[in-house]
Amino acid sequence: MRRAAGRKAIWAAVSAGLIALALTYLLLNAGMDFDYVIPKRLVRLGAMLLGGLCIAWSAIIFQTLTNNRILTPAVMGYEAVYLLLQSLLVLLLGTQSLALLGASGNFALSVASMLAYSWVLHRWLFRDGASNVYSLLLVGLVLTLVMGTFTQFVQFRTSPGEFSMLLGFTQASFNRAQPEQLLYACVIVAVVCAVGLRTLATLDVLALGRETAISLGVDYPRAVRLQLVLISTLVAVSTSLLGPTAFMGIFVANMAYALARSSRHRATLPMGCAIAIAIFIAAQLAVEHVFNYRTTVGILVNLVCGAYFLALVVRQRGAQ
Amino acid sequence: MPLLRSGLLPLFALLCLGSLLVGARELAWADILSLSDDAWLTLTASRLPRLAALVLTGVGLAVCGVVLQQIVRNKFVEPATSGGLDAAKLGILVALTLAPEAGTTVRMLYALAFCLAASLLFVAIIRRVRARSTVLVPVIGLMYGGVLSAIAEFYAFQHNILQSMQGWLLGDFSRIVQGNYEILYLVLPIVALTYAYAHRFTLLGMGEGMATSLGLNYQATVLLGLLLVATTVSATVITAGAIPFVGLVIPNLVAVRSGDHLARTLPMVALGGACLLLACDILGRLVAYPYEVPIGLTAGGVGGLLFLVLIVWRRR
Repeated sequence: MRRAAGRKAIWAAVSAGLIALALTYLLLNAGMDFDYVIPKRLVRLGAMLLGGLCIAWSAIIFQTLTNNRILTPAVMGYEAVYLLLQSLLVLLLGTQSLALLGASGNFALSVASMLAYSWVLHRWLFRDGASNVYSLLLVGLVLTLVMGTFTQFVQFRTSPGEFSMLLGFTQASFNRAQPEQLLYACVIVAVVCAVGLRTLATLDVLALGRETAISLGVDYPRAVRLQLVLISTLVAVSTSLLGPTAFMGIFVANMAYALARSSRHRATLPMGCAIAIAIFIAAQLAVEHVFNYRTTVGILVNLVCGAYFLALVVRQRGAQ
Repeated sequence: MPLLRSGLLPLFALLCLGSLLVGARELAWADILSLSDDAWLTLTASRLPRLAALVLTGVGLAVCGVVLQQIVRNKFVEPATSGGLDAAKLGILVALTLAPEAGTTVRMLYALAFCLAASLLFVAIIRRVRARSTVLVPVIGLMYGGVLSAIAEFYAFQHNILQSMQGWLLGDFSRIVQGNYEILYLVLPIVALTYAYAHRFTLLGMGEGMATSLGLNYQATVLLGLLLVATTVSATVITAGAIPFVGLVIPNLVAVRSGDHLARTLPMVALGGACLLLACDILGRLVAYPYEVPIGLTAGGVGGLLFLVLIVWRRR
């Protein structure tokens, strides 16, 4: 009874904080300008809401599937695949790639390539067991580094205009989301969430591990495949909306486990989403009003979440 | 002598020759032999310094990688995967903003101090992480480097030098001419010292308990090794910029062939590092001829791919 009351109090505090943050972001120094400033900010807020939801949801599901709390799809190479695709498109097709494919064509291609990567990941991860998770993480990190040099190489082969387009893909920002793109993303995320919400109970069982899940009557391979499809879609949405966010998911997921005080996905998923959105709004507020655009959201998030990740690894391993 | 059997020496000579002859300016043997002033100027003012800088950097980075791998006892560690490179960048950045008029030596000292501090902290973190999964160590190192470079970016953004920082910290030998690379000769005494202490570094790789019981002063040797690494890294970063993966790929390839006995393998590691850098540099000069692709990119690409192959291959 007391635990339930405590949970309710935490929930009330988190939602109140979130609403307060969102209102501050919308109205701070806006001068009640409903024609320009506030609509602009509303679009950015929408991008943050969607992006936060995608990052938290995909990170928590991914951690459930791999049964490991220091992983996120972002550092496992998904973002590297996305960046590789974008730089290849710019290199091979030039600026026409945008006109040729359109925003939705590009998005469909991104999702498809991430799904293909998921399939490789799936074979590697779930065939040989959890000992290979770290090799995969290392491969993902090195792949990200190589991609970094590759995008820089593309810089030498393309004109400045084409390159600045590519640079837009490689840095996290809320300013690039267009209203119609948000609308597409919104529809896709709504579909994914609708499917995801129906499988919450299955996810709770999956978290118990492969053998237990199978003995409890879950069609394990099928359930995992479905969740991987959801993850690829969510990562594709968040990366194309906001750009790479690297460590963010780890931080969000672990905070969610701590605050939700429960390992049921019904509690952790919404909590994670709320935390991710709150972090984004706070970082954007800091960038706009404290640092006066002299830093970026990506740098702030990397700084805080990367340091948290290191602390997590050292504490977890040291305790064993 | 494994060095003679390895076939590295002829390869090295060939690459040196290639490096002297390839470039935006045509250089014909006939001109050099006929002592044409123009050809000799190109050779002595640009090509030879560049060759020297490439060889020194390659040797230094590869030896550095070996020493670091012995200290951490992990084959996947090198300055780029342990935060050392990022710390050196941060040091140069701080030197540039705090003492803008200071010369190269002061900047190098800053880089050295930051790199040494970061390496010490990294070794401390790794020692705390007791359950050592082989690949977890470089993962931690890469994250650590990510945090360090996020600090550097934050700092650079504040001082509006982010763009120029990304430009001059990318490894690039095209600016090397007579007179601005000589600090790299520091690599020579470092390599000599490493060779003299090769047996002790080999012992380091056997772990603290074993090394101590064999009569090694463990702490002092670790400190010496880290100091050598930090000096090499800061000297190369300040003259040529950041070049990843050289210190990782070469020692692994050599260890696969000839094992871990440093007194025997060190010459091969040194020569291999030089060969890899020379090859990457020639590649960079030819890919977009007559323009150049910085070696940071070619080495990052080639080295990164070799690293991926190594990870997959070692899993078998």
